[in-house]
Amino acid sequence: MTGFQQAAAAIYLAAGILALLGLALPAPRLTRIAVWGVGLGALIHGAAFATLHELDSVPQLTDLPYAISFMAWIAVLSLLVLMWRLRLGSLTAAVGPLAFLAVFLPTLGVQSGTDADLLSMRGTMPHAHVLLSSAGLGMLGITGLAGVFYLIEHRRLKKKRLGGRWVSLPSLEALDRVNVATLVIGFPLLTLGLITGSVWVHATSGSYWSGSPHAVWTLVGWGVYGGMSAARFFGGQGARQAAGSAVGGFMFLLFAVIGVEMIR
Amino acid sequence: MKILLLGMSHRSAPVEIREHYAAEDSVAEAALRRLAEHPEIGEIVLISTCNRVEVVVTTQSPEEARSRLKHFFREELGGGTPAPGEGAFDDHSYLHADQEAVGHVFRVASAIDSMVVGEPQILGQMKDAYRASIELGTCGPILSRLFQKAFATAKRVKNETRIAQRPVSVARVAVELARQIFEDLSDKKALMIGAGEMIEAALFALQREGLDSLRVANRTRTRAEELAARFGATAHGLEDLDALLKDSDIVLSCIGGQGHVLDAARVARALSARRNHPVFLIDIGVPRNIDPAVDDLDSAYLYDIDDIQGIAFSNEKERRREASLAETIILEEQERLAGWMVSLRAVPTIRHLRARAEAVRQAELGSSLSKMDLSDAQAKRVEALTRSIVNKILHRPLARLGAQTEQDQGLAVVEEARALFGLDDSDAPGAEVDSELGASELEPVPPKTLKDDDVDEVGSAR
Repeated sequence: MTGFQQAAAAIYLAAGILALLGLALPAPRLTRIAVWGVGLGALIHGAAFATLHELDSVPQLTDLPYAISFMAWIAVLSLLVLMWRLRLGSLTAAVGPLAFLAVFLPTLGVQSGTDADLLSMRGTMPHAHVLLSSAGLGMLGITGLAGVFYLIEHRRLKKKRLGGRWVSLPSLEALDRVNVATLVIGFPLLTLGLITGSVWVHATSGSYWSGSPHAVWTLVGWGVYGGMSAARFFGGQGARQAAGSAVGGFMFLLFAVIGVEMIR
Repeated sequence: MKILLLGMSHRSAPVEIREHYAAEDSVAEAALRRLAEHPEIGEIVLISTCNRVEVVVTTQSPEEARSRLKHFFREELGGGTPAPGEGAFDDHSYLHADQEAVGHVFRVASAIDSMVVGEPQILGQMKDAYRASIELGTCGPILSRLFQKAFATAKRVKNETRIAQRPVSVARVAVELARQIFEDLSDKKALMIGAGEMIEAALFALQREGLDSLRVANRTRTRAEELAARFGATAHGLEDLDALLKDSDIVLSCIGGQGHVLDAARVARALSARRNHPVFLIDIGVPRNIDPAVDDLDSAYLYDIDDIQGIAFSNEKERRREASLAETIILEEQERLAGWMVSLRAVPTIRHLRARAEAVRQAELGSSLSKMDLSDAQAKRVEALTRSIVNKILHRPLARLGAQTEQDQGLAVVEEARALFGLDDSDAPGAEVDSELGASELEPVPPKTLKDDDVDEVGSAR
């Protein structure tokens, strides 16, 4: 773990704690500081990727821990972009600690269970597959996170217990816009990730379909998201159902892409 | 110098009595000018709002000033007659002196003493009262400092507590809830069902939020038209409800009559037409205008009057909780102001002591030089030597005296210093110089013109 990664992890964690305090007290000023903290963390996190090639033993972005770290970085960046227009500061309370874990993972010695032959392949296509899929997952992760917050806020509004020292979460409309924006970008990125993965497999085995559990589960996950997108954009699905689907879909996808690899 | 405050507020007097003493600006101005002519009254600031009438003064003669203020209330503000139903004047008024008066002014400015705790209007009203007294020439350095400190305290209370964060009126709670559902209200459309006072208050609140479109639907279309015209809204009959519901993001209903104006099936159809985009419905009618089953629809958020008032009540409780935190801030600022007032007492004492020492030095030097045969240069050197010795001896005690007066026991230290150096002895050396001192220390310094947000700058100008 480089100094940049350590610094980014520490800042993400500190920002997350600040944002949690901001929610609990509630103190909006702390939340605002936390947003700037996450921004700084993302900057240092980016520097960590940019300087990986200077390490004695240069790691590959196709290694699972680095792919997860990249996924977190994209998620943080996409959230920061969305924060430019929407009041989403309190999402930092979840994004900060999650980004910390994602950057911290490499230090725990988590290794990829991906096929050794595939791992040995270094080149454009494996990187395109991993980076596109990670970016897609990062975006869809934000879709899922916004979904969790949407369900919490929806429940609070329905229960009508908002008086006194109520915690200010993003508005339902803001969370729904996050849902739409990240789904619109994240799903195509995931699709491209699958296509490049298929091309990569074809280059190694002569077939576009490996039939591995990773491939099967990922395809099912992609199908789930395809169905979700269709329901959302063409089926008139409401925002609350979309939020629920986003949470379920991301849990499934996380298992399909990463979980299956880790339990092998 | 003492500070006195005599007044009545919503806590001490009903509105019939308060309104009796709430004089018009021109009458109050003339009355204040007359009050300022009395020797027992120093500086004056009059605060007159719909919830309170208070006069704050400085005085060297508290007993006389107290009677004068009561006379001022009864004769000048009250026109010489008691208010209808008023008993003894003291039963409806309060009198605070010094620290109590300071604390009261700080509490009023911080909206802790307001009917609605944390309301923002009182600070502006106090600033207006302060400005008026400056323009009238009745506000001097002490009340100037007191009010600037009060404004700074109010700013601290607002920034460091949550006293004003949560809304407590039905209309503001509704707007706050709308913000939990919608990110931006400026592109939203609101539908008001009814045309009564509550609808009017809601229209006012929503208009301030800059909604894209306001529509008023009522059984009597002419009444809807009247109300709509005042708020730049469009007027409709109840027969248009289905069409209006389809693109309404916020629906507020307060209309008389039995039965539900909106039922679940009707709202469900509207939601379907708007692709399940959320709708916020506020039903403040009694009996209720909107079927409670509407709340079971996923994208419909329905709040009735009890829900809204429940939130307003919780918010008010929260404000009161925050008021106890504000008391700590007020106490801190009160102590600071008390330190400053004590330090005012130290200035004459310090000058007094210097003058006494200088008188002794000059007397002794004059007598000694006349007995010595010194050249001019030698005499000047001896003169410089004596001045230097006196300055060095006085430097530390005077510096400590200045510093001590900023603290709690400051006044006692000043008194001890006066006793120790015999500053009140008329036959002591330099007593003739003493009599010339002290009178100019509390000359009023005209404060700068005060803007809404520059209280700190003015406060630190002295």
